[in-house]
Amino acid sequence: MTSALATQRRRTELGLIALAGLTTALLYALAGLGRSASLPADLGSFLLLVLALGVVAHLAVRRFAPHADPIILPVVVFLNGLGQVFIIRLSHESGIAGELPALQTTWTALGVGAFVATLIIVRRPRDLAAHRYTFGLIGIGLLILPMLPVVGREINGARIWASIGPINLQPGEFARLALAIFLAAYLVENRELLQVGSRRIGRFEIPDGRHLAPVLAAWGVSLLVLVAEKDLGSSLLYYALFVVLLWVATERPAFLIIGGGLFVSGAVVAWRIFDHVQARVDIWFDPWATRSGSGYQLVEAALAMATGGLTGTGPGAGEPNRIPEVETDFIFAAIGEEMGLMGTTLVVGAFILLIGGGLRIAVQSINPFNKLLAVGLTTLMGLQALVIMGGIVRLLPLTGVTLPFISYGGSSLLANYILVALLLRLSDRVALQTTTAPAQNEQATS
Amino acid sequence: MSDELLTILRLCLLGLCYLFFFRVLRAVWVETRTPKTTAISLNSTQRLVITAPKQNAGRSYNLADEITLGRAAGCTITVDDDFVSQMHARVFQRADQIVVEDLGSTNGTYVNRQRVSAPMVMRLGDQLQVGDTVLELT
Repeated sequence: MTSALATQRRRTELGLIALAGLTTALLYALAGLGRSASLPADLGSFLLLVLALGVVAHLAVRRFAPHADPIILPVVVFLNGLGQVFIIRLSHESGIAGELPALQTTWTALGVGAFVATLIIVRRPRDLAAHRYTFGLIGIGLLILPMLPVVGREINGARIWASIGPINLQPGEFARLALAIFLAAYLVENRELLQVGSRRIGRFEIPDGRHLAPVLAAWGVSLLVLVAEKDLGSSLLYYALFVVLLWVATERPAFLIIGGGLFVSGAVVAWRIFDHVQARVDIWFDPWATRSGSGYQLVEAALAMATGGLTGTGPGAGEPNRIPEVETDFIFAAIGEEMGLMGTTLVVGAFILLIGGGLRIAVQSINPFNKLLAVGLTTLMGLQALVIMGGIVRLLPLTGVTLPFISYGGSSLLANYILVALLLRLSDRVALQTTTAPAQNEQATS
Repeated sequence: MSDELLTILRLCLLGLCYLFFFRVLRAVWVETRTPKTTAISLNSTQRLVITAPKQNAGRSYNLADEITLGRAAGCTITVDDDFVSQMHARVFQRADQIVVEDLGSTNGTYVNRQRVSAPMVMRLGDQLQVGDTVLELT
């Protein structure tokens, strides 16, 4: 079933993917020139690889979700290629293990594989809603996996890792997806209960006490993640996901206000009790006070971005390796140094395009579960990008999460490719509900 | 290679990145300008779609007119099921809302697994069950 709309969208997508692949390959060539004044020997294979992975993903969309949005995938290919260029470029200098680029390439290939598999397996969003409690259990299970004695690992002060043989994974990245599916389905089922029953205090409608229970539960789970796993970023993401979904499902801004209030009080309490939270706030206000200690990373990031200026030093010509964790959480600062404000603006713009695409799918979805799931997935990806980029430029306190598609990190890549596949599946449904309506009409009347 | 040349190449590359960005923006523009996706008028597109049992899944019915469900041949949706009454239930529009009413059936009509005792308003995504047949309002 190929409609004119599908043909047009897939053509747009393929063209944009080709342009994205070409752009990142030229970026790779320039990074080689900037570093050693010669073209990288594997330029051809790099271009082929980026294009091949993009085209495989494109063909999967063409085959399994032909009406899906044409913008999301090319932007993802571009961000992923940009990240790969920077990871290769960073690995050429000391301080970072040389095998990272190969590992990242493997993870990207696995990510595209997961993307294709998700499109094949999840044919209808309804199937996800049908297994909501399974997803809920999977989500909780993945959430507590790092806390278990044998598989759980604590790396760099955060207990968010699980080891299976030689592979280290962050189960939390996948738990977020499962919980987003569960929450969307759960809230669609129960939104009437949450919509009715309210008391008025002054001008505001306050939901009944017992309807606040789920919000309080989510608040508790986020605090648990914060305390037990020392993972500030994930804790924030879970909580925001829940509050946003609750607000959208019930169309009651009161939940947003109450959620925000609970967040502020929780944050204040956490700040008073936990040293690691206190340290984060201290370096947020003044990283220079601990220039050679805990503030080192933020200061170096600020210096790197200042060096970059408007157009950057050029890929391969800067010294971003001075920043700790530059290949994962702080890769945005490396882009700031070598591509300047123009480069970082481009990354921010790309994420805005992804968020816009996701929300457009949500607005156009008729089915409430699809609508809510699109909102949830978009919130997860957008907020994660905002939190880490804002943390690096000190707009927000620093919380260690990866920059989706750009940072080094297998779990993050895999989870985000699955997320995008789900978004495209929802997008495909949007087109079906409007374009095939006449065809079904004939069937119904015959 | 001279520094000047590298600088020029670097700026060209940034330009290329922005070209990509604007091509994507243009695609977004085309997407949002196309009217077909905005024409979601709730009343004209609301339909009942059979989701179970499997052999009838996917059949869809327009809700512009009243729909009757039952075992009788004269019903809009004839259900071949011993647990369904001859005239089991009806779904109709009233004041821009979709209403379902049980027509005194023996085994009951269910919306989201709750028995319909008085005419009730259906919302998008609600599951209507009659015997073994499940229909979703989409």
